[in-house]
Amino acid sequence: MNDFTIILRSLSSRLFSTVTTIATVAVAVALMLVLLTMREAGKKAFERGSGDMHFLVSADASPLVSVLNGIFYANPPRRPLTWDRFKQLERTFPWTYAIPTQLGDSYLGLPVMATSQEFFTRFQPNPGESWAFAAGRAFDRSFEVVVGASAARSSGLGVGDVIYLTHGITQSRQLGDASANDGLHVHRDFAYTVVGILAPTGGSHDRALFTDVTSTWIIHAHDVRKKVDPAITTTTEADLTDADRKITGVYVKLIAPPGSSIPTNFQQVFDMLRRDSGITVAQPGQEIATLFKIVSNIDRLFIAVAGVVMLSSGISIMLALYNSMEQRRRQIAVLRVLGASRARVFGLIAAESVIIGLLGALAGIALSVAGGFIAASALRDRLGLVIEPDLEPRSIVGVLLATVVLAGLAGIIPATIAYRASVSRGLRPLG
Amino acid sequence: MTMQPTISVSPTPVSTPSVPPTTAALAIADLVFTYPGAAAPTLDLPVLNLAPAEQILLTGGSGRGKSTLLQLIAGLIDPQGGKVRISGTAIHALRSADRDRFRGQRIGMIFQTFNLLLGFSARENVMAALMFGGVHAGEQRSRAAALLESLGIERMDRPVDELSVGQQQRVAVARAVACSPTLVLADEPTASLDPANAAQAMDLIQSVCRSCGAALLCVSHDPSMTSRFIRVESLAELSRTHAVGHGAAA
Repeated sequence: MNDFTIILRSLSSRLFSTVTTIATVAVAVALMLVLLTMREAGKKAFERGSGDMHFLVSADASPLVSVLNGIFYANPPRRPLTWDRFKQLERTFPWTYAIPTQLGDSYLGLPVMATSQEFFTRFQPNPGESWAFAAGRAFDRSFEVVVGASAARSSGLGVGDVIYLTHGITQSRQLGDASANDGLHVHRDFAYTVVGILAPTGGSHDRALFTDVTSTWIIHAHDVRKKVDPAITTTTEADLTDADRKITGVYVKLIAPPGSSIPTNFQQVFDMLRRDSGITVAQPGQEIATLFKIVSNIDRLFIAVAGVVMLSSGISIMLALYNSMEQRRRQIAVLRVLGASRARVFGLIAAESVIIGLLGALAGIALSVAGGFIAASALRDRLGLVIEPDLEPRSIVGVLLATVVLAGLAGIIPATIAYRASVSRGLRPLG
Repeated sequence: MTMQPTISVSPTPVSTPSVPPTTAALAIADLVFTYPGAAAPTLDLPVLNLAPAEQILLTGGSGRGKSTLLQLIAGLIDPQGGKVRISGTAIHALRSADRDRFRGQRIGMIFQTFNLLLGFSARENVMAALMFGGVHAGEQRSRAAALLESLGIERMDRPVDELSVGQQQRVAVARAVACSPTLVLADEPTASLDPANAAQAMDLIQSVCRSCGAALLCVSHDPSMTSRFIRVESLAELSRTHAVGHGAAA
C-alpha cells in the first residue's frame, strides 16, 4: 500500500467522472497538438514544393502570386511569357537549370503542368532528393503524361491509361463529379498516354500531372486554328507559330561553387532580373515566409482558441474534484483518523489532479496522432496540400508539461478543501 | 470475562489516580472544550485515567460530549484547556504532522458506522492503517492478512462494501488494532446493530483489545453495555459541569 494505491482507488471509485474528465483533457490536448503539428507540417509542405530552385520567373502580378500559382497550383497564371523571352533568359547566365513550365490545363480538376524533360532530370522536388518513379518513366515525347503520387491515388490512373485534358482548371476538385468540367473545354482531339507514376515527394507536385510543353502548344494551337477553319482535324508541331509557344513560368537554379549551396552571384542575379519590368522574379522561400507572416494572425488565433480549450479542461478537472469533495468528506476524515497529516491529504488530492491531467495528456497525444492523419488526409483531399503530420517531440513535451502544470494548479482548490476539512464533520454518522 | 485492572476515577481534580499519568494508557487532566459560539463548555473533565490494557465504558446521553471527548483524546480537535496524555505523551503538545503520525501509531478508533474506506478491499483498509502507522510497505500485506485471518475474514481482497455487516465490523476492528495501539477508542460501536450482533461485536472488540494489550475506552448510551465492563463511568458525573453539549458533536 502506498499513496498511489489510495489515489487509484479514489479515481476508480468515481470511474465515470474520472473517465469523462480525462476525455475532456485528452480532446483539448489533441486539439492543441494537432494545430501545432499542422502548423509545422504545413510550413514544411510549403517549403518542400519549391524544391532546389533559386528563383521562379513568371509574368504574374506579384512574386507571391507567382509562387502560389507556379509552384502550388493555386490558379492558372493569366499572363504568359513567350518562348523567345525564355530563350533569352536561358542565355543570360550559366544556370544549373532553367526549366520552362506552362499551366492552364487540368484532368478531373487536377492541375497539369507542361514542362521539359529537365523537370525530372535536373529539378529536385526536395533539395538533395531527385524524382523517383513508383511505376513507368518520365515522358520523352509529345502526348505522354506522368502522374504525381496523390493525383494517381485520387484519379486511379495507371501506366498505359489514355486521358484527355481539359482546358482550364475547374474550381471543383471532386473527382467523378460530372458537373465539375461543365463550361470547360475538353481537348478531345488529342489523347495522352500515362507513361509514369511518381513516388510521393510530400510536396505540392504530388497532386499534379506532367507533360511536355510541345504537346500543350499543339492542343491550344489546334483550338485557335479550328476557330478560324472548323474543318481542320489535326495540328502538328510544324503548324505552331511563335504566338503559340507560350509558357507561364521558369524554374531556375544558379550554379553554386563546390561545397556550397548558395551561389556567390545570388543577390546580383536577383537584382538584375528584377530590373526587367516584363517579368516577375520570386524567391520561393522568401515568399512562403511572407505567406506565413500574413496567415500568422489566424494561426495565433487558432492556437489561442486551443489554449482556451486547454484552460477549460483544467477547470473541468477542478470541478470534477471539487464536486467529489462533498462525497469524500468521510474518506478524508478516515484517512486523517488513520494518521494521514493534512499536508499528505492535500498531496493526495493534488496528485489525483495531476494524474488526471497526465492520463488526459497521454490520451490526447494518442488522439492527436489519429487526428493528425485525419486532418492531413482532409487537407490533401480538399486543398491538395500534402502534409506529414509528424508530432514534434518538443511540442509533445511542451504540451504534456503544460497540461500537468495546469492540472496541478486545478487541484489546488479541491486539495485546500481537503486540507481544511473538518474530521468531526466527516465522521458524523449518516442520516 | 477476565478481570481488568481498575483505576479509581474521581470527578474532582484533587483525587489521585492509581496510575501515574506518565505510564497510564490515557491520562486526562482539566480538559475543557467549548465549541465556537457556545455559551458553556461542551466538556469540562477534571480527570480520567486508564491503566494500560484497561477497559472502560463511558456512558452519557446524547449531547453530553462523548464523541467530542474521543476526538479530543485522538488529537483531532484542540481543547481550550487541560491535558491529554497517551502513554505519557501530551498529544496536543505535538506539532500537527507529529500528532497525526502519533495517532496512527498509538490510537485505534472504531465507529458506529465502521467508516471503512469504500472501494478498498478489506486487506487494503487494514494496510492503509499500517501505512499511515509507519509500518514498512514490505510488511503491510502479510500483517494485514494475518490479522484478518485471525478475525475470520477469508475474502479479504473483496471490496469491503461487498462484505456482510458482521464482516465489515471485523474489518473495522482489525484496522483499529493493526498498529498495536496503546489505546482503542470505540464510539457507539453497537448503535447500528441488533442486540445479538451487538453482543458479538463487543465480544470481538473487547477480546481483541485484551489480546493485543490495548486499553479500551468505549462510549455508549446503550444501558445493556454496562454489564460487559468492570469499570463504568458516567461522563455527566465525571464532568465538572454537567454541560449541555454541542448536539452535532455527540
